[in-house]
Amino acid sequence: MDAHLLDPDEYKRLPDPTLTMDPIHEAEWMMTRRQLFGRATLGLGTAALSRLLAVGGLGSIASLANAFGDQSHGGLQGIPNFAPKAKRVIYLFMSGGPSQLDLWDYKPKLNDLFNTDLPDQIRRGQRITTMTSGQTRFPIAPSRYKFNHYDNNDTGLHVSELLPYTAEVVKELCVVKSMWTEAINHDPATTFIQTGSQNPGRPCMGSWLSYGLGSMNENLPTYVVLHSKVSSNKPNQAVYPRLWGSGFLPSEYQGVALRSQGDPVLYLNDPNGMDRKTRRTMLNGVDALNNQELNAFGDPEIAARIKQYELAFRLQSSVPDLMDLSKESKETFELYGKDAHEPGTFAANCLLARRMVERGVRFIQIFHRGWDLHSNLTGDLPSQTKDVDQGCAALIKDLKRTGLLDETLVVWAGEFGRTVYCQGPLSKENYGRDHHPRAFTIWMAGGGVKPGFVYGQTDDFGYNIVDRDGVAIDPSAEKFTPGAVHVHDLHATILNQLGIDHTKLTYHYQGRDFRLTDVSGHVVKELLA
Amino acid sequence: MKASLPILALSFAALGFAAFDTTSKLPSVEKVNFDRDVMPIIGQKCFKCHGPDVTKAAAGLRLDSAKEATRDLGGGSAIVPGNPEKSFMIQRITAQSPAMRMPPSDSGVKELSAEQIQTLRTWIAQGAKYEKHWSYIPPEMPSLPVVSNPNWCKNPIDNLVLSKLDQSHLKPEPEADNETLAMRASQTLTGLPPSPELLEAFRKDKLPGAYERFVDRLLASPAYGEHQARYWMDAVRYADTHGLQLDNERGIYPYRDWVVRAYNKDLPFDKFVTYQLAGDLLPHPTTEQLVATGYVRSNLTSNEGGAIEEEFLARNTFDRVDTTSTIFLGLTVQCAKCHDHKYDPISQKDYYGMYAFFDSTKDKALDDNILLPAPVVKAATEEDTARINALKLAQARIRASVNLIQAEQYLTEHRHPVPSSKYWEQSPVYAEKSFDEAYAKVEPAEPGQTSDVAWKPIAFEVGKDQANLIGKDNASIYVRGTVTFATAQKFTFGVSSDDAVKVWLNGKLIHANKASRGVDQAIDQVTGEFLAGDNQLVVKLINGISTDGLNIRLIDPTDQLIQDTCAAYKSNPTDPAKIQNLQTVFLEHGPKSANASHYQEAAKELKQIEDAIPMSLIAQEMDTPRPTYVLQRGQYDQKGDRVERHIPKALGELPKGAHLDRLGLAQWFVSPSNPLVARVFVNRIWQQHFGMGLVKTADDFGSQGEWPLNQPLLDYLAVSFEKNGWSVKKLNRMIVTSAAFRQSSRITPEKLTKDPENRLISRGPRFRLDAEVIRDKALMAGGLLVKELGGHGFKPYQPDGLWEGTSDPASSTHFYVRDHDKNIYRRSLYLFWKRTAPPPAMITFDAPLRDTCTVRRSVTNTPLQALTSMNEPSFLEASRTMAQRLLAHPGTDIQRIHLAYDLTLGRKPRPNELPIINRMLASFRKRYQSQPSDAKKLLAVGDAPTAKNISPPEQASWMLICSTLMNTNDFLTLH
Repeated sequence: MDAHLLDPDEYKRLPDPTLTMDPIHEAEWMMTRRQLFGRATLGLGTAALSRLLAVGGLGSIASLANAFGDQSHGGLQGIPNFAPKAKRVIYLFMSGGPSQLDLWDYKPKLNDLFNTDLPDQIRRGQRITTMTSGQTRFPIAPSRYKFNHYDNNDTGLHVSELLPYTAEVVKELCVVKSMWTEAINHDPATTFIQTGSQNPGRPCMGSWLSYGLGSMNENLPTYVVLHSKVSSNKPNQAVYPRLWGSGFLPSEYQGVALRSQGDPVLYLNDPNGMDRKTRRTMLNGVDALNNQELNAFGDPEIAARIKQYELAFRLQSSVPDLMDLSKESKETFELYGKDAHEPGTFAANCLLARRMVERGVRFIQIFHRGWDLHSNLTGDLPSQTKDVDQGCAALIKDLKRTGLLDETLVVWAGEFGRTVYCQGPLSKENYGRDHHPRAFTIWMAGGGVKPGFVYGQTDDFGYNIVDRDGVAIDPSAEKFTPGAVHVHDLHATILNQLGIDHTKLTYHYQGRDFRLTDVSGHVVKELLA
Repeated sequence: MKASLPILALSFAALGFAAFDTTSKLPSVEKVNFDRDVMPIIGQKCFKCHGPDVTKAAAGLRLDSAKEATRDLGGGSAIVPGNPEKSFMIQRITAQSPAMRMPPSDSGVKELSAEQIQTLRTWIAQGAKYEKHWSYIPPEMPSLPVVSNPNWCKNPIDNLVLSKLDQSHLKPEPEADNETLAMRASQTLTGLPPSPELLEAFRKDKLPGAYERFVDRLLASPAYGEHQARYWMDAVRYADTHGLQLDNERGIYPYRDWVVRAYNKDLPFDKFVTYQLAGDLLPHPTTEQLVATGYVRSNLTSNEGGAIEEEFLARNTFDRVDTTSTIFLGLTVQCAKCHDHKYDPISQKDYYGMYAFFDSTKDKALDDNILLPAPVVKAATEEDTARINALKLAQARIRASVNLIQAEQYLTEHRHPVPSSKYWEQSPVYAEKSFDEAYAKVEPAEPGQTSDVAWKPIAFEVGKDQANLIGKDNASIYVRGTVTFATAQKFTFGVSSDDAVKVWLNGKLIHANKASRGVDQAIDQVTGEFLAGDNQLVVKLINGISTDGLNIRLIDPTDQLIQDTCAAYKSNPTDPAKIQNLQTVFLEHGPKSANASHYQEAAKELKQIEDAIPMSLIAQEMDTPRPTYVLQRGQYDQKGDRVERHIPKALGELPKGAHLDRLGLAQWFVSPSNPLVARVFVNRIWQQHFGMGLVKTADDFGSQGEWPLNQPLLDYLAVSFEKNGWSVKKLNRMIVTSAAFRQSSRITPEKLTKDPENRLISRGPRFRLDAEVIRDKALMAGGLLVKELGGHGFKPYQPDGLWEGTSDPASSTHFYVRDHDKNIYRRSLYLFWKRTAPPPAMITFDAPLRDTCTVRRSVTNTPLQALTSMNEPSFLEASRTMAQRLLAHPGTDIQRIHLAYDLTLGRKPRPNELPIINRMLASFRKRYQSQPSDAKKLLAVGDAPTAKNISPPEQASWMLICSTLMNTNDFLTLH
């Protein structure tokens, strides 16, 4: 007889699983389940206990909290470590590496250097990708785009003519021109900026946050991924589930991708002839059976499965409600633009992101692909920026007007930047740019970062990060280098805004406490309001 | 335990376990391994300044090679093998003075831990050996470790597992119960629960070795090969489409079916590998050996407009090299396309040395967007060929019994009558507005019409094409003639027409075919009852657009054949071919006899078999291989130095006498000197049974991959695999009959802490089943699963628009047209796999897209999976038909619940579970009895017939019970 099994008398005290759940009944049911969990976890090591509580808690304690009006579900004890500035994150990921030189990092002096060779003292023997390392020359390709100057709360900011809408909200943006990464190819670089490691297997940032902070709305996934249609029909870098995967963290912390075509979630609807009550009855049964198994075998994966079925049930009503844009005002659609009427566009996804923010989704990541412009950059970049520009600006304005921007951190970034020198044929009108990890531009908004602020600068070639005197600096991953922001630093800063000390959000795995920022990462205080 | 000893002895002997060296003892101090233990420390702590980068070698010291590290630096050296205290390295990392201590405080490198320092000390004390990466050294049979409980061990796997557990102070779990074991072994070996018959036999078998016998039956079941093949399909990225741009269909499923058969007949792995890589290069390859080379053709291809052949040749070849490298060597070599590998000893030149093995096949780099880009083979299976040969032999025997003289005489005497014809005339041309009208309209020349028609005589030659009788679009013409027979008879003749045709005999319409075609495209067989004497034949020819034509073939084709055959025979009565033809014609068209009917039956079956044999893509080597060059930066048009075929130098050499081609490469893969292939494969088989390989990174055995937690076990499996004649069945058997595999999968708190992932095998396997297994189990529980092996990929229910929404309208796989009948209930292995839109339920449960080699699937746990197993029509239909099965079974609710548990979970319900099911059932009944119309709606899922004799509320209630069980963790999990 397994010691974990309930005795028959205890079983009789279980509520009838076929009861249709009103909140009070559900609370009762969950209460009993918590006792079950409590029992099941007795005698487990503390690490396992906290893990089980985290897992089980999402289904049980969390639901209780739900019933009694508490806000947060799951998450780790002691997290957040301090009062958060932001409750949630919208991460706009430009996959492929947008060209900072054609969008943000204004380098007027380059116009006189068209087709001249990148000076050796600028390149400084730094590695470049094998895509251009075979080139005999590294000719300068000045941006063909006009940059206009916009007032922010600081010294102002030049923004490319390709981003007219985003330019309107520069007073809200905290622009970092001195972002850098260690990886030079897409897969490692994308994996790096998503998970803090170039190699697969680590949880992505959204998973870390789900794990650490838990959910604010059990009826929707804590971490949602949206893929955006790309207007340009050129092939573009793939994105794959590992980028929103939970790595060694329990699998429930992975991102849930909502389909941009057809049904938002496949097989979301119950069959004809089944109403919600019946589904609830069935799920209570599945749940009760799975709990029996959990008691018998103690596998935390069973707790995760219980949670997923619960989430599935809630998704069935919350997703249609979320996706239903019919009650959005005409003004809102004007703000986001025509694209927003078409599901799956970046603009529509931004609008959905705002709706998710309202509903307490913790981490929303919108992918937009196609930024890997090795050639024909000026042929393709306008279509890329047109896809995202209005949506980005609308999202910020919308969050601002609804008062959500203060507690929502919006991040716009790619995995690296692009080179000042040309890849392939060069003319004043058209050129290509290779991957450039040494310096690139990202921006953030809301969530307690300095609005209307620019951090960091690059040399006249946009090649190296330089200090205030224009002297090139060699940033280090291990030590914080003022003026430069490493991927780990960005992660540390984002976590900080969510009230998390990045050194304290850890998970013990294979003999080591892992964290998103690996062994480094520094909060860039200068970015904070 | 003692009682089981004889069986143990038996099973050891039966499997031919290689003998252990039992003399060696565990060393008192664990040997420090440079590669595993030292390299990570010095790499991390020292290489920043003392690594391979010569420009950075501080103080002229490098620690990356023995030669450099032991070099005299004046007054001593950094490493003095055997003497840690004299080694500068130890002195400096343990120095008290911060100024002296390494690594320097300002280096950004953290100090070494006491444990790390101890490791370095021990390593130096043990001789400071620099060693090759473990996986590049061929495996050797490990010695048998001393274990705490030898009685627990059923085979050497267990000694090696237990030894690790002993080191961690863990005890194995007790053996799982028989029901659990039966489900477990059946699912990891065959991907299905055991069949009721198999399970019954196992339950009744009370003799020692019952489990082993059960396993042997599983290994002998055809489902075994299917399940094993499915992993192989992931690895070779098998799919039914080309994969790029149009993503058109590709005809290669005979290759998939070959893999299934190869596993089922336990084709030794060395042959399995050789046929796939190089079947075409074997002397006189069999059809199956050629079909196996579908492996080489499984890469993604394209024929996009503007694509450059040479560019795609490079892309295709990269794909082949990368896949081959991952599958067989467990090495990720892609980076060496552009530069020497940073971590593993694969130079760029090595990469192109491998590339050169794969860039000289005859297939065009661009696939022409067709189903069967050459070379292809008519993929008769061995069974097909055997049957064909047997039938042909039987026919030859019958032919030999034919008396030639009698046959010739009979055939001459029994000639089929051939009519004569005369008075051929044609009507005027009748033009209409459309083809439809021209076809349908009764013109004046049609039989039965009384109007005068200006018939015009023509020189109509029977059996010859008459072109341009009409000469107009959307018009018709009538042709008539008189046909004369000596006696009344039923006679069949041929009519070819461009386009449509109608035929009247003696005023009666006997044939109509509204075809749109050329005159040479078909012969309509027209049969009429002819009268003795003159008959009137009228043919209406209707033209659509462009050319027209007519051919009336008033010849009996059989008669022609007989005439020709007899004439040929008479011209040369000793020619064997002519003799054979005469015999054949006699047996097929001569007098009725037992022999003749046997012969004709054989002919009919032969035709059926031949017609059913599909074509399949194969590899064929060019007569002269292409010259290969290093492609700088991986660019097809940036040719560097010429490269000859070779294998990476650090991994060994081709076996002596091996050809410098794919065959030689295959021979090297399976040669004893190959350090990787056997290990990589046994690791994946282990992964199939335990959910995780002994090397967790099943796709990376290189220096960035994970160290095997239990290398002796891995090496034991690899070496014994080869020694057991590369038998995959024996390998599988050894694993599933081990005590390690048979443990309960219960997780105790202690083990959750000490062995959270079960890397030490401190308990039985426990992992979520793969997508295919889950679907197949559901269908099997519903009694729907069709167990036919092989064939064209099938298309089950699928939400609308999944293909249409993402594909090019010009694609042959643009429209999803689902299959019907039993086809949709086949095993998931046979799902039609469109790479750009694979079956969604599979993808939701972590199946890979099949556009890259996958040897390790991720396992996730998501609400989308819950939605799929609750709502996907196949699952719902299976729960409905399963309910019908339960209700067809007389008995009480409790008995039916027991049966339901048996069908889904293969066990009895636990006492705690029964009340849950009962309450649900009561609730469902209440609900559907009050609304029977909802019950009907719920039951209206899937094509399978509904039981008419059971009330819908009852069926619906049980359907949801079945669906509930199919959604339990127990159902979805191997444990």
